[in-house]
Amino acid sequence: MKALVINYGVGNLYSISSALKRVGFEVIIDNKPRKDYDLIVFPGVGAFSAVAEFISQYKDLFNDLRRSGTSFLGVCLGMQIMFEKGTEGKESNGLGWFKGIVDKINANVKLPHIGWDLVFEVKDSCGLTYGLDKKYVYYVHSYIAYPTSEDYVYMKSQYGIEYPALVCEKNVVGTQFHPEKSSSTGKIFLENLKGWIKR
Amino acid sequence: MTTKRIIACLDVKGANVVKGVNFLNLQFKGDPVSLASLYEEEGADEIVFLDITATIEARRALYSVIKDTASVLSIPLTVGGGIRTLDDVSMALSSGADKVSINTAAVENSQIVKKSAEEFGSQAVVVAIDAKKINGNWIVFTKSGTYNTGLDAIKWAKKVEELGAGEILLTSIDRDGTRLGYDLELIKKIVDSVNIPVIASGGAGKMEHFYDVFSLAKADAALAAGIFHDGIIKIKDLKSYLSQKGIEVRI
Repeated sequence: MKALVINYGVGNLYSISSALKRVGFEVIIDNKPRKDYDLIVFPGVGAFSAVAEFISQYKDLFNDLRRSGTSFLGVCLGMQIMFEKGTEGKESNGLGWFKGIVDKINANVKLPHIGWDLVFEVKDSCGLTYGLDKKYVYYVHSYIAYPTSEDYVYMKSQYGIEYPALVCEKNVVGTQFHPEKSSSTGKIFLENLKGWIKR
Repeated sequence: MTTKRIIACLDVKGANVVKGVNFLNLQFKGDPVSLASLYEEEGADEIVFLDITATIEARRALYSVIKDTASVLSIPLTVGGGIRTLDDVSMALSSGADKVSINTAAVENSQIVKKSAEEFGSQAVVVAIDAKKINGNWIVFTKSGTYNTGLDAIKWAKKVEELGAGEILLTSIDRDGTRLGYDLELIKKIVDSVNIPVIASGGAGKMEHFYDVFSLAKADAALAAGIFHDGIIKIKDLKSYLSQKGIEVRI
């Protein structure tokens, strides 16, 4: 199975690539979309406005790939840019694949939120949540998605407020947590992901 | 609520993990890749690499060690020691570090903190503060604890938060290596002064010290090195102890 990790030009792509390799993906890192991959990954590095600007150059191509059935995984910020709009940096548009906006965690808590928290399964019908309910996963973020529909929210976590931890619709999945830094629990998710792509 | 984190720190010299007393009598403790994965297996929540020599040659060795470690590790990795420029930050991150820890350079040129946070996000920027108590006040020291900056540690902590640091790694020079316990008073003061996570460091000698630093000083994470390398405390045992005492940790 072949995965393409999109390089926006900043940050650590090593962890996500290594984690995908460990569960058996063949991984290529590139700064533009390509066809013929089973999975395209938006990694969780950078700031929303900068990444949105980068992604917007290839918006049509990403939309085509999504329509033609290529699977997508967005991690943290990579999930956030799949929503309609973000307010980090300057307000900018995301891909709009999930309805809702991305904004600061609106609670009286320390930001960034850094550390391990429990994820809770809301529903299990997407096949990605197997073995993850009430497990600890690693978070590092100040922003969360505020979805306008609960239809695509499969897991949640809580930090001052409840927020989506795993969203999924058809061939697109996003996690607010970092599977590549969530030790053995992250590995379970990535194994699920493999099965989900094959389905 | 977010669990309290246990962080294992590895002092890296070239491609080896070493530990000394007061920076002297360095002893070989193992190879960083295997130690880091051992600690992950035992339940460490994060790993910190501190490059204690930071010469150009050692730096090159460090980047390859970061790469090797990142390819086996699936918990966060922070790299510090000799990070002076935006290029250093970028090199460390693109080698597989999730965060960098900046100490001396932050004091000498605070813009490096601001610029790194803007470019890579606050979550990637840890400012390390080494503090020593002098006449009742905690003063910031740099250059591996040898240079008195005259800065007040509490004011400096607030300043680095403003500049965009995502976390503070706070070491008590007085307690470092003593195994007498964390400097609870210092840590509590800093925790109360900022609204970003604080990692306590310096002085861990027994399990009670971890309980105290979480319950009394309200630290978000506790870091230790020697006691883990020497097998005095096993991370697994430490976490079940803390959990029994009512501290939420990842088990």
